[in-house]
Amino acid sequence: MLTLRGHGPSSRRWGVGLSALALAVVPLAACGSSDEDTVTLDFFQFKPEAVGAFDTIIADFEEENPDIRVVQNHVPNADTAIRTMLVKDKTPDVLTLNGNGNFGRLAQACVFADLADLSVADSINPEAQQVAQDLGTCEDQVNGLPFANNASGVIYNTQVFEDNDLEPPQTWEELDEVVATLAETDVVPLYGTFAEPWTLLPTFNNLAGAMQPQDFWSQMRAEGEDVGPDSEASFEKDFVPIADRFNQFLSYTQDNADSRSYTDGNRAIAEGRAAMLAQGSYTLPAIRDINEEAPLGMFVMPVSDDPQDNVLVSGVDVAVAVGADTEYPDQARRFVEFLFSDEVVSQYAEAQSALSPLADAPQNDDPALEGVVPFFEDGRLTGYADHQIPAAVNLEAEVQTFALDGNEESFLSGLDEEWRKVARRTVDFSEGGQS
Amino acid sequence: MSAQNAETEAARDDDTPAAPDRGRQRQVPTAIWWMVLPAFVLFFIFHTTPVFTGIYYSFTNFAGYGDYRFVGFSNYVNLFQDSEVFGAYRFTFLFAVVATVATNVIALAIAVGLNARIKLKTTFRAVFFMPHVLAILIVGYVFNYLFANSLPYVAQEMGVTALSSSILANPDLAWVGVVILAVWQSAAFNIILYLAGLQTVPSEVYEAAALDGTTKRQQFFRITFPLIAGFFTINMVLSLKNFLQVFDHIIALTDGGPGTATQSISVLIYRGGLQGGEYAYQTANAVIYLIVIVVLSLVQFRFLQRREASF
Repeated sequence: MLTLRGHGPSSRRWGVGLSALALAVVPLAACGSSDEDTVTLDFFQFKPEAVGAFDTIIADFEEENPDIRVVQNHVPNADTAIRTMLVKDKTPDVLTLNGNGNFGRLAQACVFADLADLSVADSINPEAQQVAQDLGTCEDQVNGLPFANNASGVIYNTQVFEDNDLEPPQTWEELDEVVATLAETDVVPLYGTFAEPWTLLPTFNNLAGAMQPQDFWSQMRAEGEDVGPDSEASFEKDFVPIADRFNQFLSYTQDNADSRSYTDGNRAIAEGRAAMLAQGSYTLPAIRDINEEAPLGMFVMPVSDDPQDNVLVSGVDVAVAVGADTEYPDQARRFVEFLFSDEVVSQYAEAQSALSPLADAPQNDDPALEGVVPFFEDGRLTGYADHQIPAAVNLEAEVQTFALDGNEESFLSGLDEEWRKVARRTVDFSEGGQS
Repeated sequence: MSAQNAETEAARDDDTPAAPDRGRQRQVPTAIWWMVLPAFVLFFIFHTTPVFTGIYYSFTNFAGYGDYRFVGFSNYVNLFQDSEVFGAYRFTFLFAVVATVATNVIALAIAVGLNARIKLKTTFRAVFFMPHVLAILIVGYVFNYLFANSLPYVAQEMGVTALSSSILANPDLAWVGVVILAVWQSAAFNIILYLAGLQTVPSEVYEAAALDGTTKRQQFFRITFPLIAGFFTINMVLSLKNFLQVFDHIIALTDGGPGTATQSISVLIYRGGLQGGEYAYQTANAVIYLIVIVVLSLVQFRFLQRREASF
C-alpha cells in the first residue's frame, strides 16, 4: 500500500475514514526523556511502507549517537496529519514528507528550518535539489532535502518486448510502431486505468513536463484571475499540443480502460497481459508484490520525433525537513547528516525502487530503472506539473473527464476556468498563497 | 372526640400526601439534571462548539494551518459563482430525491409483504435487514466490482451493448449505480420502521373493512396507508436528510467521478476543504448546506404531517 500523495494510489480511498482517526493518533510531540543526558527527537515519517526501513536506520543512528533518541511517528494520511500538528504549533523536530504541492505550501509558510548550511546539502544532485526548490520555499532557503527521488515514465514488460523484437521507443514515431506491432498480438499495448483518476496524472505530467513553455507556471500565477485565451499564458493557448498528444496516447489503451483500476493495471503488467503502463517508479514495488519475478523496465515517455526533447519527470518521493522551532537544532541536524550518508540513502533507494539524489554515490542498480537513470544522472530533469496546480483546481477530475470524452476544447477551457475561480478566491495567489 | 378525630384525620390527610410531594419536588429535578446535563455538555462541546467554530472560520481565509485573516462574506460570494458547487448541488438533489422515493416505495412494498401471513416470515425479515448491518464502504466496494466487472460481462453475453461497459465509468449513468447501492442499503432500515407501523394498525379495522366488501387495493390506500402515514413522514424526512449527506457510497463506488459527475456536496466539502487546502471556503459551503438541510426538513415535515390521518 503506497501513500504517495500526488502520484501514488493516495490513501484517499481508504484514508477517508482514517483521516479522523489520524488526528486522534497524532503523537503528542516528543515526550521528555527521564534521562537528562539524552535528547529525544520527534521524527515524523509519512510512508507506511517505509516504517521498517526507518526503524533500522534509527537503530544504527542511536548506536553511533548514544546521546540522542529518535522516536518515529507515522500516521495514515500524513498530509492532513502534519497540518493539524502545525495548527497546534507542534512541528516535529525532523520530518519526511512527500515532495508535492502541499510540501511547497508548508515551506512557504516558513515552518521548516533552513538547511543550506549542512554539508550534505552540497552532495545532492543540483537538478534534484532544484525540483525540491521549485515546489516552494521560505524566502530563498533550502527547506527540504530530497532523500529519495522517483521517476515518472512508462513501465514496460521486458519479456513482452523481447518476444516481439521491440526496443523501448525514444521518439513518438517509434512508440507508434511499437503499438502497431503489439496490436497484432493478444497483448494490450498500453493499459489504461481511468477508473482511478490519479493514474492519468503521470501521462499528463510527462507530456507537460517536456512540452510546457518556459516559465509557464509563474506566468499563470501572475495572471491569476485573468487567465484565458488572450492572456500571456493559459491552458487554452499553450497546452493544445500537450492535449493532442494526451488524446493520441490514450487511444492506445484497451477498450475497458475506463472501468479499470490501479491494481488491475499492475496485475496486467505483472502477468504480461499488457506491454506498457504509464506510471512512476513508485509503482514498481507494487507490481513486484503481485509477481516478484516480473520482468520490468522503464523508459522516459517520448514526446516528439527528436529524442533530445525527452526529459525525465522526477519528483521528490521523500523530502527531509527540520522543524523551524525545534528545541534541538544541533541534534536534529546530526540526524539529518546521518540520513544522507551514502550507505543509508542507497539502501533506502534499493528497498523502495527509488533513485538516489546523491550526486557522487553509486546509483540504484535496479534493472527496471536502467532506462531512466542516465537522464537522472545527466540532470535532464523536470518536476511534476501537477504540483504547480493548486489542489482546489481538481485537476484529477478534469483529466478524467478529458480521458473519457476526449473533448480537448472543454478540457483546456475548463482548466482555465477553474484556475480563474481559485485565483479569485485566494488571497496572495501570485505568491502561491493560501486560500 | 369524634370531631377531634375527624380533624386530626383531615389534618393527616392533608399532611400525608404533602410530605412525599415536597420530597419529590426536591429530588426529581436534581435527578433530571444529572441525566440531562452530561448529554447536554457533551453535545455542546462536540457538536455545537464545532458548528460555531466552523461558522467563524467561514469568514476567514484559513487554509487549515498558518495565518489567516477575516475576509468578510467573500467566501459566500465566491460560492455562488462556482460552477462546481452548483454541479454538486444538482447531483446531490437529483440523487436524494430519486433515492428517497425509490427507497420508500420499495421498503413499503416489502414491509406489506413481510407483514402478510407468509411462510418463513422471520427468516425473510432477517434477510431483508441484512444490508443495514453491513458497512456501506464494504458493500460499496462489492458493488463497485459488480458494476465494473460482473454486470458488463453479463450484458455482453446477452448482447446488451448499452450495458457492456461499466455504468460507473459513464458520466451520464454513474449516478444510477450510486442510487442502486443507496436504495439497497437503506431500504432495510425503512422496512423495519414500516413493519413497526403496520403492527400498529388494529385488526378490527380490517375486519370491518372486509365486512364492507373492500378490495385489497382499497384496503391499502384507504386504511393501511393513512393509518401508517406518520411512519411514512418520518421515513421520508430521514431518508431525504440522509441521502442529502451521501458520502460513503460515493467514496466506495466512484470517488466523485467520472470527472465530477457524482461529486456530492459532502464529498466536495471534504475534498476541497481537507485535501484542496480551501478549508475556510468549503466551511462556508458547509454552513450554507446546513441551512438548506434544516429548511428542507422543516418544510417536508409540515407538508407531510398535514396529510397524516389523526385518530
